[in-house]
Amino acid sequence: MITDIWWASGTFWRKTAIWVTAGSFVVLVFLTLDSMSQITAGTKRVPAYSAINHRIEYRFDEKRHVQAPVIGAEEPLFGRKLTEQEAEALVGKGKLTMQAKNCMSCHTLLGNGAYYAPDLTKAWLDPFWGSREVREELMVEFIKDPSDKVHNSLGRRMPKLGVTDEEAHAIVAFLKWMSSIDTNGFPYNFKPLDQGN
Amino acid sequence: MIEPVKMADFFATFFSAAAVILFGALYALLFAYSRIRNVPRLMPLAYAAYAVLFASVILLATVANLFGSLFWMSVVMLMLAGYLAAPHAVWHLCVHTHAAAHNDGSDGHQPSTLLDGSAAETFQRPCKEKTS
Amino acid sequence: MTALGTIDSTNLNGGQKLAVKYFSVAAILFGAQIAFGLLAGLQYLIPDFLYGVLDFSINRMVHINAMVVWMLFGFIGSVYWLLEDESGIPVVGLKLGNLVFWIFTLAVAVVVAVYLLVQVGPGEQSTIWLITEGREYIEAPRWADIGIVVCLLVFFFNAAATFSKGKWTGIGGVLVLDLIALFGIYMAGMFYTTNISVDQYWWWWVIHLWVEATWEVLVGGLMAYGLMTVLGARRKIVETWLYIEVALMFGSGILGLGHHYFWIGTPEYWLTIGGFFSALEPVPLVAMVVHAVFDSGVKHMRSINHPAMGWLIAHAFGNFFGAGVWGFMHTLPQINLFTHGTQWSASHGHLAFFGAYATINIAFFYIALQKWRGNVWMSGGLIGGWKWKWSMVLLNLGMVGMTMGLLVAGYEQSQIERAIEGSSWAGYFAAQSHPWFQQGMFWRMIFGGMFAAGYALLILDLVTIGRRETRPALRPSAGG
Repeated sequence: MITDIWWASGTFWRKTAIWVTAGSFVVLVFLTLDSMSQITAGTKRVPAYSAINHRIEYRFDEKRHVQAPVIGAEEPLFGRKLTEQEAEALVGKGKLTMQAKNCMSCHTLLGNGAYYAPDLTKAWLDPFWGSREVREELMVEFIKDPSDKVHNSLGRRMPKLGVTDEEAHAIVAFLKWMSSIDTNGFPYNFKPLDQGN
Repeated sequence: MIEPVKMADFFATFFSAAAVILFGALYALLFAYSRIRNVPRLMPLAYAAYAVLFASVILLATVANLFGSLFWMSVVMLMLAGYLAAPHAVWHLCVHTHAAAHNDGSDGHQPSTLLDGSAAETFQRPCKEKTS
Repeated sequence: MTALGTIDSTNLNGGQKLAVKYFSVAAILFGAQIAFGLLAGLQYLIPDFLYGVLDFSINRMVHINAMVVWMLFGFIGSVYWLLEDESGIPVVGLKLGNLVFWIFTLAVAVVVAVYLLVQVGPGEQSTIWLITEGREYIEAPRWADIGIVVCLLVFFFNAAATFSKGKWTGIGGVLVLDLIALFGIYMAGMFYTTNISVDQYWWWWVIHLWVEATWEVLVGGLMAYGLMTVLGARRKIVETWLYIEVALMFGSGILGLGHHYFWIGTPEYWLTIGGFFSALEPVPLVAMVVHAVFDSGVKHMRSINHPAMGWLIAHAFGNFFGAGVWGFMHTLPQINLFTHGTQWSASHGHLAFFGAYATINIAFFYIALQKWRGNVWMSGGLIGGWKWKWSMVLLNLGMVGMTMGLLVAGYEQSQIERAIEGSSWAGYFAAQSHPWFQQGMFWRMIFGGMFAAGYALLILDLVTIGRRETRPALRPSAGG
């Protein structure tokens, strides 16, 4: 006769379920607190918004064995150096516009989103823009009206989404700032556009 | 930190990872079936499935460069031991949870509209469970 | 008392009457999900199709939002369905529940209308509040977010108050606790921040903890009820196993959140946490396999509802392959570096969502219809039984085919776009124009059509099943 063993009883497993759930959740809360402190803007992994005043590079880190963004020499976006508040406002406007236009429903950002259009994590550094000198203006023009700018053999085009000049500049600022986030080497093997020395 | 998979090893990575899960399930399936139906000759097949799982884990660990660090190595060890033990543990759990309900004698609450108070059939205990 | 085989709401209790309303809307939204999925899929093959009218972004957004909402409606309906059976008393606050159903449905209709007609807005907070939040899966504007939380709160009140006044069962306890998490976690996604790493960190709380934790547990509870209803499985055993599954699923699922924190700016320790819990993920599945075999051996079960039973089995397989096999294939960070954000994710997403959630909702549709028609026969030799079988074949085969098409495309993408070209835009388009990708998308479309046909047949079957049937339902055999 098999007797009722404690580790096979409903009561035991109900308690276990509660403790496991609560325990995992508490661990998650602590990890979240720690992660938040490490990904607040202005930290090593997620630079301050004023990073857009500088050149952003993407280099192989010998010690960590991954590519990582490096904030280089001063190189203000659109030739205008911004204060931290101004930079935050501009990047914020860009992020808001990217949500308002639903960019994530075609593109991926940090690899998350839809897969109909290229990843934007390193859009600022993409060789597609040709050279450092023309990049900013090309990006602004592209975002404002991409519908007549064929750039692939598939015939896939980005639609004109009614982005204003101001919004387009803000989006470029957001993209530049996003390219400075340390993403543990994602995307792998990416070769940024030549930004000179 | 991690050492990314080499491109030449992509297929091996996907394939071995899928095999880990598939053979893990096959092992569990054969193991449980062999016990419940009392077919001991199926048990070697169950362990053969585990052997394939073992090989798959090793292959996955090799191509995904898991042997490079102590942490990832311990994950590999845990997977090997865990998959071997899990069906045994779950089996015991099955036997005892069902036995507990039987000893309890109650049928529990059933949705009344569907049952119309039908009586419980006699619980048929698997023939091998005492030896397990 | 009306004749057997006629749809008649007097066959249902109060909660169940509300449940069938939720089920009806869920079934319609399922159709919307498929329709917009087909449009979006077609745009991969013919980029100019509906360009500037209904762009891919809009179709894709409606596709995934319809999915989230129809599944949610299905779950809510399922809980109302079992509420009176489980608690033993009529639903407390049913009038409020009914009112909320109409508000919820109307709100969904308004949100979708705005998606389709307004589409995008200026880069202002007003857009986030009124048009779209522009964050995958939770694109719904903020007013709708608040509405969803209010609706879920009323739903929670109905469930909690009914169980409190009647009696608590194990299933009831698990469901009610899970509902707290359901609306609590949703609120983690309701704020705006410029910092995209912080944004995506909390966004994953909603997406992952909903989909891979609270939904899984909700489904576990529904499955437990389903097994008791359809097979007459014993409550005590079913509930013990529900607790075991909850422990395993939350134990591996909550910190399994780590596998979404590899590449969004979060610290490196998430690589190890995510990898570790990914390796644990299959444990609940192994437990289910052993238990299912054990169960089938200890008793001779007769299913009183073959279609529902078929879909419960499809759920077990779909969950195993979609979440288990497809998940594990690309979850370790060493390989996820190359598959993250490719069609790999789409392949996994399609199979896992369908396998884990669509299946169980369809099973509940059948459970509901059986009773709605006066507890009619739904076992072997069913009149017009080919319909449910063929719709099941078409839906499952269609889904497997789509998943395979996307898998081939994703595999090619991970090599050419990611490993070789380093995710540059040129690399992206090189991969998109590769024959493997194009053919994968072509076959995805073909199987999408098959899936749509399966849906049409499913709806036809749901409307007609049991209609000319005069036999009463089998009584479930009791067993372990």
